[in-house]
Amino acid sequence: MKRDRDRGNTEVAAAGGSSTGKLKMWEEQPQPDAGMDELFAVLGYKVKSTDMADVAEKLEQLEMAMGTTTEDGVSLLSTDTVHYNPSDLSGWVDSMLSEFNPTQIGISGHESSPCSSNLIYDDDLRAIPGGAIFSNYDNKRMKLQQPSPAAVPTAVLVDSQETGVRLVHTLMACAEAVQHNNMKLANALVKHVGVLAVSQIGAMRKVATYFAEALARKIYKIYPNDNSLESSYSDALQMHFYESGPYLKFAHFTANQAILEAFSGASKVHVIDFSLKQGMQWPALMQALALRPGGPPSFKLTGIGPPQPDNSDALQEVGWKLARLADTIGVEFEFKGYVANSLADLDVGIFDISPSNDESIAVNSVFELHRLMARPGGIERVLNLIKSLNPEIVTIVEQEANHNGVVFLDRFNEALHYYSTMFDSLETSGLTRPDSQDSLMTEVYLGRQICNVVACEGVERVERHETLAQWRVRMGSAGFDPVHLGSNAFKQASMLLALFGGGDGFRVEENDGCLMLGWHTRPLIATSAWRLRRV
Amino acid sequence: MSMEEKRGKFCINDNMDVLIEILKRLDDRSLGVAACVCRLWCALTRNDALWEHLCFRHLSPPPPDGVRTVVVALGGYRRLYMVCVKPVLSRLRQGKLIRMGTRHEVELSLSLFCVDYYERLLLGGRIGGADSPSSLMFLCKAVNV
Repeated sequence: MKRDRDRGNTEVAAAGGSSTGKLKMWEEQPQPDAGMDELFAVLGYKVKSTDMADVAEKLEQLEMAMGTTTEDGVSLLSTDTVHYNPSDLSGWVDSMLSEFNPTQIGISGHESSPCSSNLIYDDDLRAIPGGAIFSNYDNKRMKLQQPSPAAVPTAVLVDSQETGVRLVHTLMACAEAVQHNNMKLANALVKHVGVLAVSQIGAMRKVATYFAEALARKIYKIYPNDNSLESSYSDALQMHFYESGPYLKFAHFTANQAILEAFSGASKVHVIDFSLKQGMQWPALMQALALRPGGPPSFKLTGIGPPQPDNSDALQEVGWKLARLADTIGVEFEFKGYVANSLADLDVGIFDISPSNDESIAVNSVFELHRLMARPGGIERVLNLIKSLNPEIVTIVEQEANHNGVVFLDRFNEALHYYSTMFDSLETSGLTRPDSQDSLMTEVYLGRQICNVVACEGVERVERHETLAQWRVRMGSAGFDPVHLGSNAFKQASMLLALFGGGDGFRVEENDGCLMLGWHTRPLIATSAWRLRRV
Repeated sequence: MSMEEKRGKFCINDNMDVLIEILKRLDDRSLGVAACVCRLWCALTRNDALWEHLCFRHLSPPPPDGVRTVVVALGGYRRLYMVCVKPVLSRLRQGKLIRMGTRHEVELSLSLFCVDYYERLLLGGRIGGADSPSSLMFLCKAVNV
C-alpha cells in the first residue's frame, strides 16, 4: 500500500507537471461549446474544459487520500458528505481535499519533472462516448500506459444522502404537479429527477428511474404498449421473479398448505388455477399429495391462461410437463387448459363440474384477481363464478398495497413506498448477483407494474392492487368466510424465508388467519383462504 | 505368527458389511473423500441407501414408506441431500450439528426437491443433468444469514 502511495505521489507530481503543459494545449484548441465539457454536462456537472486537467488531478489526489483513510474498504466519507452544489465539481473536490489534508492541495503544478508517456488527459477523452470520463488511475500508476477509457472514479459516486432525500421529494412534487394538472412544472421536475437519479446507486436509483419514466409517460401521454405482446413475455418475467426472491415461493407454499388441508380425506381433487403461468405452484402440492398418509388422491388441474401471440399452446405444454412429474411420483393426474383474455370471460359451464363427480374443488389465484377491477362488474362476475363452482377452498394471494385509490397522488405515494421496499428487499437479500438475468428481468417485471400503476388509466390500468383489509370486505360481502391458515403454513413459510439472505429482513406475519410476507416492517404479499358461507 | 502373516489377515474390502457400517456413520464430506479411495469404495459410496441413511438418520419417527419411492423417482437421496437437505439444514441450524430432526424440515426439503425436478423438466426435459436450476441456486450460495 505504502509503495503504491509513494509511486502515486510522484506520479501526481509528474502529472502536475505534464498537466500544466497540457493545460496550454487545451486552451489552444478551439472550443465550440461555452467552455463547458460536454461529457460532464451529460451527467449534470459543469466543468470547464480548461479546468478538466486540474479537476482530474485533484480527483486523483482525493482518491488517494480516500484510499489512505479507508479501513476495510468503507469510505469514511460516505456518511459525512454534503454535496452543496453538485454541478460545481471543481469546487466540491477542493473542499473535500481541504478536509483531508490542507497541504496536499499545494502539490498541483509545483514540481515539474519531465514525464514522457504519463498523459492522463488526451484527445481520447473527447472521443469517448457516453459516460466514460476519466482514465483509470490505478492503471496509470501500475503501467504508465495510455489510459483506458474506463469507469467514472469512485469519488464521484460517493452517495449523498441529501441527494437521495431530494430525489424522493422531487418525485413527490412532480406527482403533485401532475395531480393538479400543472404539466409544465411536472415536466421540469421529471427532468430534474433524471439528473438526481444518476447520482444515486442501487435500489434507490432503479426505483427513481422507473417512477420518473412512468411520470414522463403520464405527462407526455405516451402510454405503454397494450397487452397483446405481453403474455409469453410476462410469463418469462414472472419466472425470473420466481427465481430472484422468496415472494412467489411464499405465495405458493402457503396457498398449497391451505389447499392440502382442505383436501384431507378426499379421493378426487380438482384445482382450478386462475394463474397457471409455468405451473410452478403445483409440483410441491403434488409431492405433498403423493406422500399423504393413505396415498394420493387423483389430481385434476384446470389451468387458465391468456392467449399467446404466436398461437402456441403454452398451457398444454405446462400440462404435459406436470403430467410427467405426476407420472414420476405416482399421482394420477389430468390436465385441462382454457385460454381466456380475462377471467371475467369465463363461464361456469366450461369447467365440467357436476356434483356427481364427487370431487373436492379448490380455486387458486396468485396476483390475478386485482386485474378484474379494471372493468366494471369484472370482479363480481368472477366471484359469482367461483361460488357456482362450489369449492372447498379458495386461495388468494395479492400484493399488500392500495394501488387502486381514486386520487392519483395517493396512488403514487403508496406505490413509491411499496416498490421502494420491494427493490430494497431484492438488493439487500442479495440472492442473485445484481447483474444476473434474474435480477434484471425482475426489475423489468416490477418496472412494468410501476408504469402501469402510475401512467395508465381506465381499462389499461390492470395493476389495481388492494390491501388485505379491502379484500376481506369484498370477499365477505360476496358471501365468503375466511379460513385460517394454520400453524403448519406459518412454520413452513418461516423456514422458507429463513433460507434466504437478508438477515431478519423477510418476515412472516400472521394477520387474523392470513399470512403476510413482509420486508422489515412493511408487508408486501398477503395470502388468504376462503370458503363459501354456510347458511 | 510373523508380521507379514498378521498383516495379511484382515482386509476391509473383504468385509463389505463392516465397511458399509462404517461408511454409514460418516458425514457427507468424508463420504466424498472415501469415494476417492478406490473403485470399490467409489461404487459403495454412490449407493443411494447410504445417502438415505445420511438424510434421515436422526429423524424420529423415520419418514413414511412412500417417501423412498418419490425421492428415488425425483433423483435419489444423494441428490436430495446435496441439493436440498444439506443447504436447508445448514441455513436453518447455522453452525449447529446438521441433522434432520423435524417433520417440517423434511417436508420443506422434499417440496424444494420436487420443485427442482420440475424445473429441470421445464429447462429442457433432460433429467439427470448435474446442474441445478436457478430456483434452488440460492441454496448453493454462501449466504450471510
